[in-house]
Amino acid sequence: MHKFKVIPRLSALLNRINAKILKFSLCFRLMFFFALVSSIVWGIAGYISYKETRESIDEFFDTYQLVLARQLAAADWSAVSPNTQHITDKLIKNVENADEEDEAIGFAVFSPDGKMIFHDNENGEHFRFAPQSFGTFNNELINDDDDKWRLLRLYSADGKYIITVGQELEYREDVAMDIVEEFLAPWIIGFFVLLLAIAGLTYSEFRPLKKLALAINNRSADDLSPIDIQKSPIEVKPLISAMNHMFQKIATLLQRERSFISDSAHELRTPLTALKIQLEIVQMADDDAQMRQQALLKLQKGIERAERLVEQLLALSRLEADNGHYDNVEPLNWKEICEHLIDEYRLMVKNKTISLIAEDGAQPPFTTGNHILTALLIRNLLDNAVKYSPNNAHITLKISDGEFTVINSDTVVDEAILQRLTERFYRPAGQKETGSGLGLAIAQRIVELYHCQLIFENSTEGFRVIVKAKSSTL
Amino acid sequence: MRVLLIEDDSLIGDGIKVGLSKLGFTVDWFDDGADGKEALLQTPYDAVILDLGLPTIEGLDILKAWRNAGLDTPVLILTARGDVDERIKGLNSGADDYLGKPFALKEVQARLNALIRRRNGVTKPLIHFKNITFAPDTKTVTLDGEKVTLAPREVALLELLLLNKNKVLSKETIENKLYSWDEDVASNAVEVHVHHLRKKLGKDIVKTINKIGYTLED
Repeated sequence: MHKFKVIPRLSALLNRINAKILKFSLCFRLMFFFALVSSIVWGIAGYISYKETRESIDEFFDTYQLVLARQLAAADWSAVSPNTQHITDKLIKNVENADEEDEAIGFAVFSPDGKMIFHDNENGEHFRFAPQSFGTFNNELINDDDDKWRLLRLYSADGKYIITVGQELEYREDVAMDIVEEFLAPWIIGFFVLLLAIAGLTYSEFRPLKKLALAINNRSADDLSPIDIQKSPIEVKPLISAMNHMFQKIATLLQRERSFISDSAHELRTPLTALKIQLEIVQMADDDAQMRQQALLKLQKGIERAERLVEQLLALSRLEADNGHYDNVEPLNWKEICEHLIDEYRLMVKNKTISLIAEDGAQPPFTTGNHILTALLIRNLLDNAVKYSPNNAHITLKISDGEFTVINSDTVVDEAILQRLTERFYRPAGQKETGSGLGLAIAQRIVELYHCQLIFENSTEGFRVIVKAKSSTL
Repeated sequence: MRVLLIEDDSLIGDGIKVGLSKLGFTVDWFDDGADGKEALLQTPYDAVILDLGLPTIEGLDILKAWRNAGLDTPVLILTARGDVDERIKGLNSGADDYLGKPFALKEVQARLNALIRRRNGVTKPLIHFKNITFAPDTKTVTLDGEKVTLAPREVALLELLLLNKNKVLSKETIENKLYSWDEDVASNAVEVHVHHLRKKLGKDIVKTINKIGYTLED
């Protein structure tokens, strides 16, 4: 049970570490994870190799012990008694100064009654007598020592004596440790070399990114030319490509904005000129009251026109900029919007009639959308119909299946003009009505937002403007 | 001075017509390029104000057509676009001067005066005749240094006669220069204006050439 809880905990810990060092540089993160992973991997590798070495060393020394024990077993111990120990002691003392390796090995010979009759004068002296487990290796404690020894017991060849050969286990561990340390030492040095190499490599490999940052930093604000993608490494290419794509989009948008501003500024010149001239006339009218009165009326008309132009410009600019992301999408009641607008226009327009035909159960070209935009669309179409139709004309708004139509009776629009109606600021010749030339451009934009199209046509019932869902034409 | 104005914008067109009329010009205004183009072929205008931003027919095309037909009436072009290219194109197509929107009426007047003066070979800003001095720019008249108040139509008649000194102008020519197409002209209108001029500036100022017309003679 506990075992399975460890893994999620570990991964949570890693996540926490990751989140903390995320804010550091990539170089640092790379080095951190390299150090972490290589420590774990080499730790495991070191442990495994220690275990393996330890086993090999056990085998090796066990064999060594066995050979020694057999040789001792082959000797004739009958002449030996505890009293003869001092002879060997002398012998051993003679070689003590030799530069031999202390292999912490020892032996002792016991008589069957448990008396030690001979030992190596070193560690064997402390071996305990035990008349059992012959021929196998046992890890046991010996006298005067806290560490365990590995002991092998054999009967001598004549079966009268018990030969005991032992080696300190700690020694074996030390040897195994030495071997593993020697094996790991170059790896530990290598670890630091690699760490340095990674630091150097990441620094140099991230140079393209630094160069890119510098190149972008040094750019002037309106320089949107694409960055050269050829000289960059493959990993950086998608980033540059994405940025180039972005630059292009910004450039297009900027171009559109600039031309819109410049168009708008030009279009504002005309109403401004009109205002300026009419104001001059007011000033030079002197005592001509009628002239002044006329000019003031025209001044007012001019101001209203400029106001309308500014409003239309704002509406169009917002429509272009928001790219159709309008909030407040709601079910639309076309009939209600039309009725409301017609009531409003009937008050202003005395010499023309306006009516609404809503076919039963007809689905308008789009049924959900922004109420204000839809009202603006219908208003612009109705406004145009009212302005550019002769006196006593009849204007009909018609909601039929998939279509919304505005019909001006007794109106024919020239084919050449039809093509240009939705151009911004386009106003056909000989207009007595003042307009911004933006109404239909705005209508066109709104219609596009709702995936519809605007169709202009002359028909037997008059000039028709149709809002039609695009899919329904297929 | 009779001026042809071709301008599609109703408020600007009306403003220039009313303003220039007040300043003593006679203005025929057309809001359609084709009609305006035809008008210059029919009537002897002293100058033309031509808006280049006409919707159906390019102002520049009208200008080229006139020049090709041999008409050398001074033309002042009005441009909404401020760019230099269009002005150069206008001047190269035969325009004599240009004004960029938004402009002031006074500037239109000054430019027209300059154009007409140049066309009539008068480079001095003041025209002298006997003891009369006339300033075309301000349309003021002095007699022996004293300012004389004249009605706009009388000023126009005096200016016309001064610019055509020693030439006999017929009654019809004078009517054409003094009245626009949309004005009703009384049959004795010219006689009345001449009568007023003589009363204000001296009996002998305008000579009547029987059955032909009127003139100013040194």
